[in-house]
Amino acid sequence: MNSTVQNIIMPRDLLAAYRPPAVGHDEAIGADGTIRPQWHAFSQAFGAIPLEEQAQRQERLRRLVAENGIAHDLFAEPGSRQPWSVDLIPIMISAAEWAVLERGLIQRVQLCDMMVNDFYGAQTLLRSGRVPPRLVFSDPAFLRACREPKNTAHLINFFAADLIRDASGEWRIIDVHAETPAGVGFALANRLLHGQLMGDVFRDCRAVRLASHFQQIQTELLQRIERDDPLITLLTPGPQHEDYFSHAYLSRYLGFQLVEGGDLRVIGSRVYMKTLEGLKPIDLMIRCVEGSHCDPLELDPNGFAGPVGLVQALRRNPRLMMNFLGSSIVENRGLAPLLPDISRALLGQDLVLQDTHRRWLGDMESRVYVFAHPERFVIRHAHEGTGRPGRAEIGIMLETLTPKALDALRFELDVNGQDYVAEERSDSAYAPSWTADGLTSRRFAMRLFVVGIDGDYRVMPGGLAMSLDGTPGVAMSARDGHSRDVWIASDDEVMPPHITLMRPAAEVARVLRAGIGLRSRIADNLYWLGRYCERADWVMRLMRGALSRSEDSGAVPIGAGGRRALELILSKDQPPSSQGIGHDPNAVEQSVRLLMTAPGRSHSLPGLESNMLRVGSIVRERLSLEVWQTLLRFSNIASPQANDLSDSVKLLDRLNAGIVTLASLNGLTAENMTRNYGWRFTDIGRRLERAYNLAELLLALFGEVRREDDETARLFFVLNVADSTITFRQRYLFAPILSLVLDLLMVDEANPRGIGFQLCAITDHLQALPQASPHAPHNEEQRLILELLTKVRLAKVASLEHADASGQRVELQELLGTLISGLPKLSEAITRRYFNLTEEELRRVYTRFGSHS
Amino acid sequence: MNFEISHRTTYRYSAPVSQSHHVLHLTPRSHYRQTVSRHSLLIDPAPASKAEMIDDFGNPVSLIAIEQDHRELLIHSRAQVEVFAPMHIDTSRTASWNDVAATLRANLGPETFEAIQYSCPSRFIRPSRDIHKFARASFVEGRPMLEAVQDLTARIYRDFKYESGATDAATSVEEVLRIRRGVCQDFAHLEIACLRTMGLAARYVSGYLLTYPPAGQPKLIGADASHAWVSVWSPEIGWVDFDPTNNMIPGEEHIAIAIGRDFQDVSPVSGVLLGGGEHEVEVAVDVNPVNGWAGAMR
Repeated sequence: MNSTVQNIIMPRDLLAAYRPPAVGHDEAIGADGTIRPQWHAFSQAFGAIPLEEQAQRQERLRRLVAENGIAHDLFAEPGSRQPWSVDLIPIMISAAEWAVLERGLIQRVQLCDMMVNDFYGAQTLLRSGRVPPRLVFSDPAFLRACREPKNTAHLINFFAADLIRDASGEWRIIDVHAETPAGVGFALANRLLHGQLMGDVFRDCRAVRLASHFQQIQTELLQRIERDDPLITLLTPGPQHEDYFSHAYLSRYLGFQLVEGGDLRVIGSRVYMKTLEGLKPIDLMIRCVEGSHCDPLELDPNGFAGPVGLVQALRRNPRLMMNFLGSSIVENRGLAPLLPDISRALLGQDLVLQDTHRRWLGDMESRVYVFAHPERFVIRHAHEGTGRPGRAEIGIMLETLTPKALDALRFELDVNGQDYVAEERSDSAYAPSWTADGLTSRRFAMRLFVVGIDGDYRVMPGGLAMSLDGTPGVAMSARDGHSRDVWIASDDEVMPPHITLMRPAAEVARVLRAGIGLRSRIADNLYWLGRYCERADWVMRLMRGALSRSEDSGAVPIGAGGRRALELILSKDQPPSSQGIGHDPNAVEQSVRLLMTAPGRSHSLPGLESNMLRVGSIVRERLSLEVWQTLLRFSNIASPQANDLSDSVKLLDRLNAGIVTLASLNGLTAENMTRNYGWRFTDIGRRLERAYNLAELLLALFGEVRREDDETARLFFVLNVADSTITFRQRYLFAPILSLVLDLLMVDEANPRGIGFQLCAITDHLQALPQASPHAPHNEEQRLILELLTKVRLAKVASLEHADASGQRVELQELLGTLISGLPKLSEAITRRYFNLTEEELRRVYTRFGSHS
Repeated sequence: MNFEISHRTTYRYSAPVSQSHHVLHLTPRSHYRQTVSRHSLLIDPAPASKAEMIDDFGNPVSLIAIEQDHRELLIHSRAQVEVFAPMHIDTSRTASWNDVAATLRANLGPETFEAIQYSCPSRFIRPSRDIHKFARASFVEGRPMLEAVQDLTARIYRDFKYESGATDAATSVEEVLRIRRGVCQDFAHLEIACLRTMGLAARYVSGYLLTYPPAGQPKLIGADASHAWVSVWSPEIGWVDFDPTNNMIPGEEHIAIAIGRDFQDVSPVSGVLLGGGEHEVEVAVDVNPVNGWAGAMR
């Protein structure tokens, strides 16, 4: 579209140019061609924004989404990664329509709550046949170990429903989520990012804010616990889960701890979190893990996402977890056709919101009917579980099957029909979507979220809408991850006060600050984040040094030092890819290119990058947004893109960019990380890695006496890599000599790149960490660091320089050797003391029947 | 017949186990033809916590947690159980299997309701085409159900070889069907899968079987084993046991411990450990008639 034309006829009304689809319901434009009332305000406010600025906003939104890592599905195969984008245009819901949706959702969650209670309790619905027992008993989500006939509590606290609007304009529920908070973190992240770009339009539309909803959750959860200093956690399966972003985001927003099964331990009826200071009792776990994976002892024997013994702890202390472990049973799609009847029986009400047309195929009549009308149905699993929003399976279209496949399916349905449903294909409504070429219409579904602490249910005034794939079923399947915010028009004259959780009420803040210990696993990963960052920095500096042909002061070649350093790095991974680099400048470039592109190596950039992202995502809740964004930026730089590495200039450019990004990462950690134990572990990791790398390089370069020019070149190289050239020049106005360089890089405790400095810093950190006993004189790791530091302090640089008759610098070799063997021992000692609570693996044992007859 | 049973399970670990949790299905349950008069459970090292409960299938269960370093775990269960003979059944005069399957589908009354849960798939048992094909040969239309089950039991006994080591705890029913070998656990799983595929209700019974020493020799201590068989639901009679490993209807010499949908529900000792390295397990079972062997010999 020609933007100058747009500027002349600036559309005061956005939707004037919008063409809704010829058939089907459109959200914005009615059948009579006029704009629906709830879109008026949006259309005017957004239409007043010049097209160019709209484009800028959409682009900035795209960048924000990328930087926040919503789309960064870390452990997914590259091909199966779901992208994520947010449309500038939200879905508008009128206050009147919202009232109906709210009523319908609250009715639905109440109904589900009563069904869960019945299935795990008296089973009246099953005995009476209102719900076929086979439907419940066949579903692996029905957890027999969780039967609790006397239960009267509310078992569902977090709930969500996916809805579409059908061709007649009625909202219909296509799925419910009763297991976990079901991706509410995505909705929240979308709102916060979208709000940064569309805040003005949002205000003009008088849409309802989310913050007070979450604040209410936070306050109610804290009030529910009768202890002053409560520990509330979100239990997540970990970063490899596709919904992890949502878990991490929600836990940060609410200020609760994100924990994994391995962080927990059950003793009696209590669940504890393993921290550096020992075990801390948990008061409440918000479950983001599939129920069946929560306890390998009594549930799925291969599910290790929860602590062993959890089921038994919950029997004695059921208020410890929400939602109730077996709650996912009501997600079974086969229940849909039964709901009108169940609602009348349990609530004495008709359903406010109907489900999409579905048949449960455990029913023989349904199977016969479906095969008689194959063109109308899609076959789907009765129970799919909740993953990342937009990832529902689309199901099997009967029409498309070959006779052979149809026959196989018919047999499967005859014997296992209870595991499937048939859904009537139907159209869903369209909504305008922003593109640079004007508005287009896209089909959508939306997920709405309900929270109820002890039965007092409230619907989150917003939601997560996603554009649907062009499939004829009704699954919430959005492979391109195109999402939208959902705005609820307020009918209040006065807007509620602007609240954000970033500025919580004083009493909430007090509670959240207190008593949160650092988890051993987090400490472990923060330590490794420090080590990997430093290692990446070091490797890049070595490569940069090796590529620079000469030191800028004079024409002194530093090639020999660089080549030796590269050989050292290349030898870290087996098989060593180079015997010796020799004098061929191409070989240097090739080695650098290898280190910059080869994945899976401990000292190559892609290998380091993936390790940094892995540990970074585990500790993400501890990292500020800027740190995380910088990590992602580094990840971009360090990802292999062969085209960018064609010559040494491009290699150098990329190395420089990487070094600068890591420097800013270090700066951010130094400036922005609270000086708590977490920061100390990151810093210990960095210091230890730095000291080790430098010791190793010094030994490789100066262990033996060389020709004078060679040694000078090596000295220039090591000063360059250790970023100490300027310091050296300021002190000594002549070319480097070994004794002075060793003094600067080893003994001098004021040089932040030197070994002495690193050892002093580690000593300080270790003294500040929690001790097993305050009276213990020196524990293992403190003894080790004292030994190393003392050796370095007592060293005489003059004798370090001294070589024996065969040219070996024996004292230097000994000292550096002590460091090279001592520092890994120190690392092991720290691991043993602080991280080991999470080290051991759980294993499953059985005895079999007839094992020896 | 009255029995004294001793069931010792010993785990030995190559490295210390710092924490372990176990679920024990070792206390025999009482039912209409079995009375448990005494039971004791000795556990060494002593558990930090121990809970007794009845699970959703009506079995007594013990949950134990050990919180101290140990390299060996001994669980010794001892029981005295009296078993009564089942009444004689004329299998050819029972309702047709088609009618029983229809009764289960209709879900009429509490008894049917209890049975339905054992007609559904479970972790180890899910109907498939191959299983259906195998089962079908015994289930011709309209055949009396128990006669068909008896025929199926005999076929498993005849066509499958008892062989320890051919399978393990994770072997699927399909695999057993393919290799035609296994132990009592595998044969029970296969028979249950066949019955459920035909729309019938069948459960897994864990227990013990009295074994006789060779003529003229004393019985070796610890020579018995835990055993497993199946139970099928008949609307007229209730639950009727079949033992595919021995091709028989269990009588006074089968002593039941627990009942479930499959092995997973009733595994005698199952646990999760922290640490431990390699482990080996030794199981020693002794089943002896209280009144001596003279009374038992027939």
